[in-house]
Amino acid sequence: MPKCTINGKAIEVKPGTTVIQAFKAAGVEIAHYCWHPGLSVAGVCRLCMVQIEGQAKLQIGCNTLVTEGMVVNNTSEPVKEAVKWGLDFHLINHPLDCPICDQAGECGLQDQYVHFGKYDPEMAMPKQKKHKVVDLGPTIVLDTERCILCSRCVRFTDEVSKTNELGIFNRGDRSEIGTVENKPLDNNYSLNTVDICPVGALTSKDFRFRQRVWYLKEAASVCTGCSTGCNVNVYYNEEGAWRVKPVQNEKVNGYWMCDKGRDIYKFVNKEARLQTAKVGSKDQWRLLEGGQAAKDVGDSLRQVAKTEGADKIALVVTGQYTNEEYDSLLDFFNGTLAVKNVYHWVNNPEDMTGFDGILFRGDRNPNTAGLKARLEKRGLKSDWLDLEKKIKAGAYKYVVVAGPENNSVFPDLESKAKMMSAAPHLVWLTAAKSEAVDSATTATYQIPLKTFIEKDGTYTNHVGLEQKVKRGTTIVAGALTLSEAVSLMSGEELDFSLRPKPLTNLKTNFFTAKRGEL
Amino acid sequence: MSIVKRPKVESQWYLPAILSGMALTFRKLVQNLLHKDRLQTLNYPEEKYEYSPRFKGNHVLTVKKDGSLRCTACMLCATNCPAQCITIKAAQHEDPSVEKYPISYEIDILRCVFCGFCEEACPVDAIRMGPEWQTPAISGSNFQNDIQQLAYRANLKGGVQSRLDDQERHKAGI
Repeated sequence: MPKCTINGKAIEVKPGTTVIQAFKAAGVEIAHYCWHPGLSVAGVCRLCMVQIEGQAKLQIGCNTLVTEGMVVNNTSEPVKEAVKWGLDFHLINHPLDCPICDQAGECGLQDQYVHFGKYDPEMAMPKQKKHKVVDLGPTIVLDTERCILCSRCVRFTDEVSKTNELGIFNRGDRSEIGTVENKPLDNNYSLNTVDICPVGALTSKDFRFRQRVWYLKEAASVCTGCSTGCNVNVYYNEEGAWRVKPVQNEKVNGYWMCDKGRDIYKFVNKEARLQTAKVGSKDQWRLLEGGQAAKDVGDSLRQVAKTEGADKIALVVTGQYTNEEYDSLLDFFNGTLAVKNVYHWVNNPEDMTGFDGILFRGDRNPNTAGLKARLEKRGLKSDWLDLEKKIKAGAYKYVVVAGPENNSVFPDLESKAKMMSAAPHLVWLTAAKSEAVDSATTATYQIPLKTFIEKDGTYTNHVGLEQKVKRGTTIVAGALTLSEAVSLMSGEELDFSLRPKPLTNLKTNFFTAKRGEL
Repeated sequence: MSIVKRPKVESQWYLPAILSGMALTFRKLVQNLLHKDRLQTLNYPEEKYEYSPRFKGNHVLTVKKDGSLRCTACMLCATNCPAQCITIKAAQHEDPSVEKYPISYEIDILRCVFCGFCEEACPVDAIRMGPEWQTPAISGSNFQNDIQQLAYRANLKGGVQSRLDDQERHKAGI
């Protein structure tokens, strides 16, 4: 284990550690663009310059290994001078269009310029003009003028996604990132290149120009797009969620996440959500407060269990909820009401064990493992085909469905909803609004639930790793968590005044609020 | 300790106070008739006060030579606005040299405190505070100024041109 001294701080590192990794381990700031912990070393940006005692010239930290007794610093005058001039060279052809650039506010170049910049460019020649708004593929737009040619994205497609779509073309100051003809940047990991781009050269079509990043807050969460459970940050403001970015976790996702997972913010937003409870059937819906609907359902469920027996009730569960919610749900249905007919709704049974070799799994539920473990523990085992048969035979009076939160990963939603609405009473607990349930012909209760970003809980991923999520924001204030809905069903009261309120940014002003009435 | 002031008996006599007030009014009337130039008030709306050219009145969005909006929808004005009265929705322009432009730019003029921070924040001279200040409206919703109102209202006569020109900027290599 080599020992080294970094800016006067002695630390011990593993053999094979590079100087820049030792700097990170020691918690010392060091300028860099082209180096990324998840990618190979390129050594092209020349910004991670360090001074090593005993060596006449400065070295780049990313490609120098730590040796025994090495004394390194990046605070001496020659290093500062080198970084300053390095930055100046990067800015020779970089347009200073920060106000229009989407990266502004989270840009490596902006940050580093504040720390190490020269503030006095000496380039007399006009900037090199390159291509703007280059369409690289279905997800990404490239601005070659802003690119500083760190080659992170090229290395990403080479090493991680292994699709090799990107390359650097031309020479010198005419060098550009680009794709070859008829081979667009189109893979399930393409948006990671946007994350690792240290400037605003690669931008996501989905997020481009929609928000300035300084208006967004971030909430650490877990991706609910599949059973891998990648660690993510969800970026939101008072209007809703806007994008999802991966967070490093060596045990789960490394530094990356897939493009499909980045769509999870869409079903969280108001326009996709069930706002209030609905009672009735097709074309005759009566709106109701979520809590009241849950209470009404609970009363009739308990009545049915008491008079006609728990066999008249069937519970259908999807793998989209947290462990705590499953516990409370099964405690009430299996424990209190003694319901034995609990069915696990598997959305894509043929692709359940699929895996693309990097991160994306065929099981597109965040918590199938948690649900299965809980059903097994209680000895609940019901065949799906059995449900269909029994509903047709009229064996169930009530079918309670803890439905999908993310409708888009349930291709069978319409057919299953139609099948279940053959029962005399349907209770559909869900976060998402869906036409399939809205067209149910039987007496239906739709109760609005909260999504992953609005509740605390635990998800168990495909290898059984339990990951906690914390509440980030509240988007639909009237929605309940599944646990809350269940406790209301079991006859308990909830203090609604204590519940979280949706975010508002605008200061309320009596005169503007009363617009038109005055 | 609080001091209690009881009304004086004299103040209940009324007439002296009224008469002294009337005397003041009459004195001023005579003064104003004799010295019209020393009047403290204007005959509004026939006469109007001439404000300094630096006066910060209603906003103007400037336009380019071709008449399109100068604004690049960078949202720096909305970020800087202490009253949170600016709402911008950005979109992608077909012309790659323009790239980003506002499809909606609204100023809630009732929220606005006319501080001029938007003007200071703007990197491209796209918003200015103009000289207008008489903008009455009948309904409350009329105070929500949109692009049509901010850039192309009738008294701007086709729009105020921005000092910053894209073509010149590109030529200079900035």
